[in-house]
Amino acid sequence: MIPELETALAAPPYSLRQAEREDLLLAGLNRLTLHHRAHCAPYQRMLDGAWQGSTAATRLDELPYLPVSLFKTQRLQSVPDEAIRITMTSSGTSGQAVSRIAVDAETSLIQQKALANSLMHVLGRKRLPMLVIDTDAVFKDPATISARGAGVLGLMRYGHKHAFALDPSLRPDFDTVRAFLAEHGKTPFFMFGFTFMVWINFYEQFKDAGLDLSNGILIHSGGWKKMIERSVDNAVFRQALGQAFGLTRIHNFYGMVEQIGSIFLEGPDGLLYPPNFADVIIRDPETWLPCEPGQPGVIQVLSLLPHSYPGHSLLTEDMGVIRSIDAGHDGWMGKGIEVLGRVARAELRGCSDVLAAAA
Amino acid sequence: MIAIWGQQPEPVQVDAAELETRVAGLTYASGTPYSPDLVKVLDEISRRILQHPQLRHGPQYVALAFWLRRASMQRLADSLRAAEQPGYLPSARGVALHLPPTNVDTIFVYSWAMSLFAGNANVVRLPESLKPETRLLVGLLAATLGDLGEGQRQLFCHYPYGQPIEAALARHFDLRLIWGGDAKVNQVSKLPIRPDGLSIGFPDRKSLALIASDAYRQADEAQRDGLAERFFNDVYWFDQMGCGSPRLLVWLDEPGALAEDFYRRVASLARSKSYQVEAGTAIGKLALAHDLLAEAVTDRHSAYGNALHVSRASDPVEALHRPHGGGFLCDWVATAVEDLAPLASRPLQTVTHFGIDAVACEALARTLRGRGGYRIVPIGQALQFEPVWDGVDLMRHMTRLIAWR
Repeated sequence: MIPELETALAAPPYSLRQAEREDLLLAGLNRLTLHHRAHCAPYQRMLDGAWQGSTAATRLDELPYLPVSLFKTQRLQSVPDEAIRITMTSSGTSGQAVSRIAVDAETSLIQQKALANSLMHVLGRKRLPMLVIDTDAVFKDPATISARGAGVLGLMRYGHKHAFALDPSLRPDFDTVRAFLAEHGKTPFFMFGFTFMVWINFYEQFKDAGLDLSNGILIHSGGWKKMIERSVDNAVFRQALGQAFGLTRIHNFYGMVEQIGSIFLEGPDGLLYPPNFADVIIRDPETWLPCEPGQPGVIQVLSLLPHSYPGHSLLTEDMGVIRSIDAGHDGWMGKGIEVLGRVARAELRGCSDVLAAAA
Repeated sequence: MIAIWGQQPEPVQVDAAELETRVAGLTYASGTPYSPDLVKVLDEISRRILQHPQLRHGPQYVALAFWLRRASMQRLADSLRAAEQPGYLPSARGVALHLPPTNVDTIFVYSWAMSLFAGNANVVRLPESLKPETRLLVGLLAATLGDLGEGQRQLFCHYPYGQPIEAALARHFDLRLIWGGDAKVNQVSKLPIRPDGLSIGFPDRKSLALIASDAYRQADEAQRDGLAERFFNDVYWFDQMGCGSPRLLVWLDEPGALAEDFYRRVASLARSKSYQVEAGTAIGKLALAHDLLAEAVTDRHSAYGNALHVSRASDPVEALHRPHGGGFLCDWVATAVEDLAPLASRPLQTVTHFGIDAVACEALARTLRGRGGYRIVPIGQALQFEPVWDGVDLMRHMTRLIAWR
């Protein structure tokens, strides 16, 4: 583990102020660039060809960044094949192409540590009983384990006495939920689910069931596209869950398989905060220069976690905006951002096309 | 849905039987090749495009109208007549089916107009929903044809692929022209047309440009700007997605700083003409640039603003086949036109050039022979339609000859 990451993890989660954080990250990220350049030949070719070989940025926004789709088209790793413990995959939302992230033992450990560090900030030091807003069938069959299943499994590590709120066909399991609440509902408990499922399969099914979730801490993630289609934004989501269940401790997070363990967690002001070992730059899609707070642009994510693959500085396909810097609500420091959705997919004209059955 | 475009702006829904009856009725409806009547029909279309409140502002429609106008068609008719051999009477081939690409551009109108000019009855299968400009154009064509009494013989319609109607119609056609991707051409070609019919695919093509560094070095400011403008049109008119749009630029002999001089001019035109690059396209270009570097297809990448990205190819053959569109160019340095031979495979369509004399052009044509590459034309003419397309003499294929003695 690089020393800068150790320093970042030693501080209270989400506590590093922007200036302090940038100094720490610059040294760490430059170190990672150098490391990956030396151990990943395609990465070196990209740096040499498009970034003048850049290895020593003097500011975070000078760091070379890779478009995140590179992990769908290239095999990028900085460790030998035999060192890879697991290849993480995700389909994303944009089609058949799958990201393949090479994770070795060290990076895997780093990811778990980092994630625990972030989650502890909202869950506390003690492991809590956990109500999963999903079915246990989602990870039971290893042959068909999906990104969703992997996500559920990954988060289950941070709770215990797991119960599953949905049956294998994603219908509500009232008995299990009631039994869980009878046993654990009087003290804090942990809930996790994908945003859309929390809404459709949990909220809409259970809202009239008179559940008391006031001791619950809900962590959810997974994109807002389908929610926006239903005119549900974060405010509506929070209000509805508060009204139906008395659930107020709700934390959305933004993260991606290409930087697993690095989660932007929703702070008390509803904004998403990068952890101490990460940062975000919003770039103007015309000039690619960093945007001022308040100006929307494309999200670039920086993280000290990726040691086994060159994923420490990535240009995402998401739009976002910085709303505050070092706002300091309940000690949450750094940039507070809002994610605005995906960058519109490009459609170019032209005379060659596919046989579109729908056309 | 099955529908026919008529005098009304919107297509009228019909049933399969009605469409098949219409098509079957065309078998003996063909006219006289390049007759004065047909010149008149195309000239009227030209006139109406140029008067159209929206279409007359689109350069590709103006170019189409210019080609369809009386003088141009009369010249084509004269040259065809002059090439006739005694004892051979040209005849329309019969009924032609045109399958334009889903994202219809104007090229299909050229091939349809050629077929009409050959005297054929034509069926054009359009996508169910058309882009706004295409809708206007199709509406204009259908209305003009109706007004001139040519409407029966020229059918613009939609029917679904993969349904019985597709096969039922296919057997009436003497000629089938398929525009689109390789997969579409292969799929559509499976259905038999008339046993003596002719089916021609115009599949995915890729094109490149060739600039002689020496000629560029000698060009003055105005000539360089003029070249940049013609090149800009070739690249950006169809978002670099046309078959003829250059994706690779080959410099003949080391250009040194001249390359950058040229790219700066092109990029500055893109800015002054407000060529829009959406964020998604810009990210896609950046991603391809990195992909090519990672795979060692290129070894250097520069962005001249969002509109123009240029990567120096170390593997030009692969680079040519990894297009993006929206202003992504690979460049490469050759020492002689003969170096282009490995680049010429079947999918190569157009080589646009600057500073190449006739001797070198012919040498290039000989280099391409038997491989691929069907047009060698000056920069600025990449997207210009001509009656020999993808190496196919369209008029010859759209007509038959009756031998008599």
